[in-house]
Amino acid sequence: MKKMLSILLALALVLALCACGAAAPAPAADTPADAPAAADAPAAADTPAEVPAEKTKFIMGIDPEYPPFSYLGDDGNYTGFDVEVCQAACDLLGWELEIFGVNWDQKLVQLDSMECDCVWSGMTILDSMTEAGYVISAPYYDNTQVLMVKADSGYKSSADLAGKVVAVQLGTSGEALLNGDLADLASTFDSVLTCDSFLKCFTELAGNAVDAVFVDLPVASSYAAEHEGYAIINENLGAEQYGIAFRSGDAELCASIEGAVQALVENGTYAAIAENYPDIVNNLLFLNG
Amino acid sequence: MSLMTMIVKMSEGLGKTCAIFFLTLLFSLPLGMIVALLRMSKNRVVSSVTRFFISVLRGTPLMLQLLAVTYGPYYLFGANVARNKLIPVVIAFAINYAAYFAEIYRGGIESIPIGQYEAAEVLGYSKVQTFMRIILPQVVKRIMPSITNEVVTLVKDTSMAFTVSYQEMFTIGKQIANSQTSFMPFVVAGVFYYVFNDVVDYVMGRIEKRLDYYR
Amino acid sequence: MTENTSVSPSILEIRGLQKSFSSLSVLKDISLSVDRGNVMSIIGPSGSGKSTLLRCASFLETADGGDILYDGQYAVHDGVYAPKASLNHFRTRFGLVFQNFNLFPHYSVMKNISEAPVLHGQNKEEVRERAVQLLKKMGLEGKENSYPCQLSGGQQQRVAIARALAMQPEILYFDEPTSALDPELTGEVLKVIRQLADENMTMVIVTHEMAFARAVSEWVIFMDGGVIVEEGEPEQFFGDPSQERTRQFLRNYQQ
Repeated sequence: MKKMLSILLALALVLALCACGAAAPAPAADTPADAPAAADAPAAADTPAEVPAEKTKFIMGIDPEYPPFSYLGDDGNYTGFDVEVCQAACDLLGWELEIFGVNWDQKLVQLDSMECDCVWSGMTILDSMTEAGYVISAPYYDNTQVLMVKADSGYKSSADLAGKVVAVQLGTSGEALLNGDLADLASTFDSVLTCDSFLKCFTELAGNAVDAVFVDLPVASSYAAEHEGYAIINENLGAEQYGIAFRSGDAELCASIEGAVQALVENGTYAAIAENYPDIVNNLLFLNG
Repeated sequence: MSLMTMIVKMSEGLGKTCAIFFLTLLFSLPLGMIVALLRMSKNRVVSSVTRFFISVLRGTPLMLQLLAVTYGPYYLFGANVARNKLIPVVIAFAINYAAYFAEIYRGGIESIPIGQYEAAEVLGYSKVQTFMRIILPQVVKRIMPSITNEVVTLVKDTSMAFTVSYQEMFTIGKQIANSQTSFMPFVVAGVFYYVFNDVVDYVMGRIEKRLDYYR
Repeated sequence: MTENTSVSPSILEIRGLQKSFSSLSVLKDISLSVDRGNVMSIIGPSGSGKSTLLRCASFLETADGGDILYDGQYAVHDGVYAPKASLNHFRTRFGLVFQNFNLFPHYSVMKNISEAPVLHGQNKEEVRERAVQLLKKMGLEGKENSYPCQLSGGQQQRVAIARALAMQPEILYFDEPTSALDPELTGEVLKVIRQLADENMTMVIVTHEMAFARAVSEWVIFMDGGVIVEEGEPEQFFGDPSQERTRQFLRNYQQ
């Protein structure tokens, strides 16, 4: 008897949940006119040209550990070149900006699952992304991968690293390169150590557990500027470009952002922000293109 | 990449996962007993220091302890970071699990009735004989379910070795997932862990059954 | 007090034994002696200190003062214990049967009985043979490979007696050996104790079984509040006790 009851209860619960799931969107669709306050980000996409009274919320997905593009600032808030540009663009569009720290090697999954509306964080544009249907903005940054070594190690070229251990961050373009276009180079190394953050890559190098770190040029140069005893091997190992990734179907959203950024370039805000980031200023395509 | 290639590549990492698993058990099971005995020491200083040690290890994430063991020596003393990551990984795992095992052992030892000690004492068993022959076998039986729990958790915890870049199965899975923009490696990893734990369950079940001859 | 190291007729002698738990005085100046081949019963209400007395005699509790002598040799002299090694030697002279049996649950009956003597260096085969004989005597023939959990309470207590006897003690202590048993099981345990008495085994029995104490003992001690209130031969003790407190206690038991 008791068993019966619990089974019935469980069934009722399942039904109730299904009903809720099915019913939830219905009232939202029924009452857009009399309840404009309820219209938030996803609803805005449905309503055509009219700009909703409420601010649109735009969620920017960043790697919180990727200075100088995106990182946790001294004041405890996210900052960085990309964050500042995005903030300025949202201000221009009248959108409310929310920042979401993604797990870098899961970034596209998180984008798909609506945890953020874009991935904008020194992200290398990969062919696989467009193939998978993601909307990618026009590139805004030209990136180059380099090998960073200890200054006293005497390594002068990638050839010197034959038989050595090289660290790379999991989920970065550097890792993709070593598994792809630069696989031949990678095969000359003793092994490639994949770390889950740049800090760990650099700690491995500092602690002599690896002999070099394969990393984006701006990251390497900003690290070398702040810490003594490191050198960058003067050899560009893969020219890449950074862009912003949106979900497939969000081409309009992409266009809005691109338009706002272009406006920032024209009114000088973009250059003003870039001045705060001397390490990357030379690679910014909109300023040097 | 075909599913087969994926499985083969991840199986290579499975060896390292097993290495963490077995080495951790090898060191933490006896170490836990030492910690438990220190914890129960009549010397106040020894027991409170041990209690603090246990509370730190149980009160902080294993991931943090892995980082501390691997990179701590470098940040504190400028020492070299270990090239073979298995060493710091096993040290961190063994110490962490020893703390958990110690509390399980302690609970088991304290649950043995005092009459068992008294009977052994009157019969002239030495302290060591009493512990090894009379107390410990009964403790083992009583704590088996809790130990099984920890061992099952350990199987899953091995995936945490990725935080210090030890290329075990899950790390390789993540790398494949990333380069292939595919969710499949995580499914494969899930199946691997499930099967691994099925084997663990079976083995532990057999051991428990063998201890079932008395109540 | 004279040093007595010559051969004594008493296997156990206790003089002026004192024991307190924090502020509670449990044993106040207890003296007694047990002669070879005799059975002594100790009776009294719970909390009278009779179990503590046995536990002091078997070194499970540490006495605060007084003497404990085995065969005229001091195990405890004026509250000072002999060195560990000689205490271990004294331990071989007595056996203790607990109220709760305290068998080792993970050992078979045979191993329960035989392990301690073997650990003491006795020949394994001889010990096993002795164990088989003891089990036969206890009416537990063929139970060698059983585990305690497979036995009834009465059977377990008989195994415990066999275990104590396997050490070949000179004196055997019983701490309320039937108190944890169902009434219908006490008989089988009392029967084997009586059998041991008939074989002139020296025993000290703390018990609530008055009829049994009367039948089996050479000497009866009544304890209350940590002192010996009255003692004597069973016929005189049970037939015509001299103390009012004793009469009162026995009256309660006869009802």
